Amino acid sequence: MERVAEFLWIIPALPLLAAAAIALMRRRHRRPAATLAIGSLVLAFVASCVAFAATLRPAAGEGLVRLHHDFAWFEVGGAAFRAGWLLDPLSAGMLVMVTFVGSLIFVFSVGYMAHDANFTRFFGFLSLFAAAMLGLLVANNLLVLFMCWELVGLASYLLIGFWFSKPEAATAAKKAFIATRIGDLGFLIGIVWLHHATGSLLFYDDGAGCLEQGAIARLVAATTVGGMAVSTAISLLLFCGAIGKSGQLPLHVWLPDAMEGPTPVSALIHAATMVAAGVFLVARVYPLMAASPAGTDVGAGAHAAHTTALAVVTWVGALTAVFGALVAVAQDDIKRILAYSTISQLGYMMMGLGTGGPAVGMLHLVVHAFFKALLFLGAGSVIHGCGGEQDIRRMGGLRRAMPVTFATYAVGMMALSGFPLVFSGFWSKDAILHAAMVWEPSRIPFVLGLCGAALTAFYMTRQMWFVFFAPRVGTPHGEPHESPGTMTVPLVVLAAATVLLAVPATPAWPWFHAYLAGHLDELHAGWNAGAGVVAAMAWSILAVAVGVAVSWRLYSRTPAGTDAIEIALPRVFRALRARLYVDEFYAATFHRLARWASLASDWADRFFWGTIVDSTAWIARGVAWVGRVFDNDAVDAGFDAGCEGTRGAGKWASRIQNGQTQRYLRLLAAGIVAIVAVLAWSGTR
Amino acid sequence: MNPDYRELLALLAPECAVVLAAFAVLLVDLRFRGKRTIEGRMVLGATVLTVGLGCAAALLFWNPVSADLLGGSLVLSPVTRHLKFVLVALSIVAAWFCTESAFTRHVGEFMALVALATAGLMFLVGTENLLVVFVALELAGVSLYAMTAFDKRGPRPAEAALRYFLFGGIAAAATLYGFGLLYGLGGSLRLPVLAAALAGRGGDPLVQAAIVLVVSGFGFKIAAVPFHLWAPDAYEGAPAPAAAFIASGSKIAGFFVLWKLLQGGLVGVAGNAGWKSMEPGWLPVVALVAAASMVFGTLAALAQTGLRRLMAYSAVAHAGYALLALAGGSQPALLYYAVTYALAATGAFGVIAILENRAGGDSIANLAGLRERSPLLAVSLTVFVLSLAGIPPLAGFIGKLGAFVAVSKLGAGQRHGWLVVVALASSCVSLYYYLRILRQVWIAPGGTGGGIRAGVAGWIAAALALATLLLGCDPERLLRFLR
Repeated sequence: MERVAEFLWIIPALPLLAAAAIALMRRRHRRPAATLAIGSLVLAFVASCVAFAATLRPAAGEGLVRLHHDFAWFEVGGAAFRAGWLLDPLSAGMLVMVTFVGSLIFVFSVGYMAHDANFTRFFGFLSLFAAAMLGLLVANNLLVLFMCWELVGLASYLLIGFWFSKPEAATAAKKAFIATRIGDLGFLIGIVWLHHATGSLLFYDDGAGCLEQGAIARLVAATTVGGMAVSTAISLLLFCGAIGKSGQLPLHVWLPDAMEGPTPVSALIHAATMVAAGVFLVARVYPLMAASPAGTDVGAGAHAAHTTALAVVTWVGALTAVFGALVAVAQDDIKRILAYSTISQLGYMMMGLGTGGPAVGMLHLVVHAFFKALLFLGAGSVIHGCGGEQDIRRMGGLRRAMPVTFATYAVGMMALSGFPLVFSGFWSKDAILHAAMVWEPSRIPFVLGLCGAALTAFYMTRQMWFVFFAPRVGTPHGEPHESPGTMTVPLVVLAAATVLLAVPATPAWPWFHAYLAGHLDELHAGWNAGAGVVAAMAWSILAVAVGVAVSWRLYSRTPAGTDAIEIALPRVFRALRARLYVDEFYAATFHRLARWASLASDWADRFFWGTIVDSTAWIARGVAWVGRVFDNDAVDAGFDAGCEGTRGAGKWASRIQNGQTQRYLRLLAAGIVAIVAVLAWSGTR
Repeated sequence: MNPDYRELLALLAPECAVVLAAFAVLLVDLRFRGKRTIEGRMVLGATVLTVGLGCAAALLFWNPVSADLLGGSLVLSPVTRHLKFVLVALSIVAAWFCTESAFTRHVGEFMALVALATAGLMFLVGTENLLVVFVALELAGVSLYAMTAFDKRGPRPAEAALRYFLFGGIAAAATLYGFGLLYGLGGSLRLPVLAAALAGRGGDPLVQAAIVLVVSGFGFKIAAVPFHLWAPDAYEGAPAPAAAFIASGSKIAGFFVLWKLLQGGLVGVAGNAGWKSMEPGWLPVVALVAAASMVFGTLAALAQTGLRRLMAYSAVAHAGYALLALAGGSQPALLYYAVTYALAATGAFGVIAILENRAGGDSIANLAGLRERSPLLAVSLTVFVLSLAGIPPLAGFIGKLGAFVAVSKLGAGQRHGWLVVVALASSCVSLYYYLRILRQVWIAPGGTGGGIRAGVAGWIAAALALATLLLGCDPERLLRFLR
C-alpha cells in the first residue's frame, strides 16, 4: 500500500491520454470519442477507489494516512526543484467524488449533446478538464497545483465558450477567464512568497514541506507590513485564488454568466468540481491558515483555530452565502438560479472551513457536489425536454410530463434546502451552522447562515413551483417529453447517492469527520453530539420550514406568469433581479478605470514611446536606404554584370560548337599544342 | 613464361559470358524478326541480355578475387571486380532503356553491341598491360561508335557518330603513339615496370610528349576539354540507351584506366601543378584539363535549351571535378565520384528517353508540368539533377566533397587551392542551369497532354534515384568497395 502514491499519476494521466487521443480524432468519430472519454474516467474512478482504500487503514501509531512520492522535476543552478504526488484522506475523498460525479456527467452528456456538431471536441475538452482537475487533487507541490489550477481554468474557458458562435457564450468565457485571473494574481504572488520564505513548495516532505511544523513555525514567527504574520499574509494571498475560482464575493460575477456553456459543463465544472477547487485549496493549506503563534493545529481536528486568515475566510463565506441566496430569489433562468445557489453554497463551505475546519467544509463540498450535479443535470433534462427553454416562468406542470426528472429533482431540491434527516445536505449544512454557532469571535456569521438557509428553501421552493407544479404555460417548443436513458440514469444514481451520503454525515456516525481528521479507529456509532448540535439543528429546521412555507403560500396563490415578490416589493425585486447591481458597479468603476488607464497607456504609447520608436525607425530607414543604394548600385549591379558576363561566355562557349568537324579537329589540335606549350613553359622555369 | 590457358579461360569466364550473351541475343532476335513488334523484340532482347549479363555477374561472384596473369594482361583485384559489377549493371539498365523507344529495327544487333562494349570495358578495367588496354579501348570504342549511329530516322545520329568516330580515331592514334613512346622509354608494357623505369624523368621531353598524348587519348574518352568536342553532338544524336552508356560505363572505365596509367605507371613523373610552383609532369596537364573542363563545361551548359546537350556539357564539367579527385590521388574519391555520377547520368538519360518517347522531345521547355504528368519521373529527375548539382544529402555532394578534399590535401608546398576555387565557382554557377530544369519541372505552368506512363524504364530510373539518395546518406557503404 505504501507504493500507491508512486502510481497516483495514473489517475490524471488516463483522461489526459483520452483528451490527447480525442484531439487527434475526426469530427465524425463521435462514438469512439465518447467511449474513450467515459472509459478513461471510469478507469480513473476505479483507480481512485484503490487509492481511497489505501487511506482507510492507517499504520499503527499514525492517525492519518499521508503518502507522498516526490521526484526532482528540474534543476535550476544547483538546486533541484521537486514535485510529487500526495495521497491523504482529503485528496482521496475528492478523487473518488470527482471521478464518480464526472463519469455520470460524461454519460449524461452523451444524451444531452447528441445533436451537437462538435460532439467529439466536447468530449476532448471534458477529458482535458477531468485530467487537470485530478492533477490538481493529487499534486504535492503548490506550483503543480497551480498549473493544474490554470489548466482547469483553461478547460473551463473552452467549455463555457463551447458554443462560441453565440456572442453571450464568448463573452462569458472571457469574463470567467479574466475574473478568475484577478484572484490568481494574488495566488501566484502568494506562491512566490511562500517559496521565498520556506524554500520549498512541496506540501509534505517528511518534515521539510511548506505545510509542516518547521516551515509554519518560521512563517508565524516572521512578521511583515503592519505587524501581520507572514503566514497570515501568504494565506490571504492564496485565499485570493480561492475567491476567484470559487466565485466568492467580490469575484463571483463570472459564475452566473458561465451558465452560457452546455448544461453538463455547468454541472461538472461550475457546480460540482472546479468551483470547489477553491474550497479544496483552503482545506489543503489549512495548516498554514490555522497557524498561530500559540501553536499550530496541524491535525485538522474538530476544534478550529481562530486566526485572522480563517476569520477572513469565514466572513467572506458568510456574506457570499447570503448574497447568493438573495439574488437567486429573483432570477428566472433555471440555470442562473442554480448558479447563484452554487455561489451561496460555496460561501457555506468557506464558512464551514473558517469556523469548523476542513472536515466541516469538505463534508459540505462532497455532499454538495452530488446534489448540485443532480440539480444541474435535472435542469439540463428539463431544458432538453422543453426544447431549449430556460425561463422557469414559461415551464410549469412538468411533474406529469417528466416524472423521473421531477422525482430526482425533488430529491436534489430537498437536499439543497436542507430538509431534515434523510437528506445529506441537511447534515452537512447543520454541521456548518453548528460550527458557526459555537464560533467564538462573532455570532453574526451564524445569523447570516440561518438567513441564507431560509432563503435557500424559499427560492428552491419557488423554482419547484414554477417548473413542476404551476399551471402549464404554452411554449413555442411543443410538448415537453421525458429525457432518454443516458440522461435519466445518472439522475437516479445521483439522487440515490444524495440520500445515501446522509449516513456517514450524521452526528450519529460521523464517519466522514473521523476519516478526514484521521481518527477512524476511535469512531463508534451512537449519539456523538452535544446539546449545541441539537440547538443548531432546531434553528436550521425552523429556517427551512419558514422558507418553504412562505414560498409555497406566496407562489401557489399568484396567477400564472407573475411573481409574488415582484408584485409585493417591486423595487427590491428589481434590485435583486439586477443582481444587486454588482456588474453595473464594476462597469462603472473598474471597467471605467481600466478604460481610462488603457486610454492613458494608449496616449503614452503613441506620443512618448511612439516617438522613440519612430525615430529609431527613421534612423534604421536611413541606414537601410544607404544600404539599398549600395546594394543596388554596387553589389547587385556587380552581380548582374557578373551574371550577364557568365551568360555571354556561355553563349560564346556553345557557339564554338558550330557543327563543322574540321573546326573541331582544329580546336583539338590547338588544345594539344596549348597544353604542350604550358608544359614546356613550366619546364623552363 | 608458360601461360596456363585453362586458368586464363576460367578467369575470363565473366567476359566470355558477356560475349556469349551478345551472340545469344543476336540469335534470339533473328528467330523472332518479323514475328514480333519492335517493342516486343526490345523486351525480349533486354531479357536475354539480362539473363546473360546476370550469368556474367554470377561468374564474377565465383571468380577468385585477385590474380595476375600473362604479364599483367589480366589483373584481378577487389576493386576491378566491383567495377565490373557496376559495368554489368549499367549495361543491363541501358538494355532496358531500349524498350522505351523503337529507334531501330535492328534490335539484336544493338543489344549485341551493348554487350560487346561491356565486354571491352570489362577487359579495360581488368588489365595493366598497355597493349591490352589499347585493344580493349578499341573494342569498346568501336561498339560505341556504332551504337551512336543506330538511329537512322534522321541525319543527325549518323553525323554525330561520324564525328565521334573521327575524334576516336585521332584519340586512338594519340594513345597508341603515347604508349609507343612509353614502351620505348621504359622497355615494358607493364605498368609497374614502367613506373620503376620512368621515376624521376619528368623533365625528359619524350616523357612529356608521352604524357600529353596519353592524356589526350583518355581525355577523349572522358570528354574533357579540349577533347570533348564530340560529346554534345554524340549525346544529342545517339539513341538514349547508347548515350546513357557512353555517359556512364565508358566514363567509369576511362577514369579507372587513366588512374592506373597516371597514378600507377607514371606515378614517378607527376610533377607539380601548384600555384606558382609548377613543375612538368602529368599533374599540370591534368590540372589544366580539369580547370578548363570545369569552366568551359559549366559556361557552355548555361546556354543550352535541350536536356541532352545540357547533359553533355555538364558531363564535361563533371569530368573536370573527377580529374580533381584523380589529381588528388584518392582512388576511392575518384571511383565514388565516377560511379555515383554514372548512376545519376544514366537515370537522367532514362528520364530523357521516356520524355522523348512520350512527351515529344528533350527540350527543357518540354518539362513544364512534369510534376503533374508524372510525379515519379519528376521526383526522379529532381534527385538526379540535385545530385549532379551536388546538393546534400545526395551522392553527388559526397562525391564533390571527396574530390575537393582530395585535391586540397595534396602534399605541402603544392598549392593546389586554385583548383578548388575554380571548382567551387563553377559548381556554384552550375546551380543556375540545374535549377532551371527544376523550375520547369515543379513551378512552370503547363502540362499539355495527360499523364506520362513511366513503364519499366521509369521504375528503373526511380530505383537509380533511390540509390543516389541512399549512397549519399551512407557513402561508406560504397566507398569500402572501392578501396
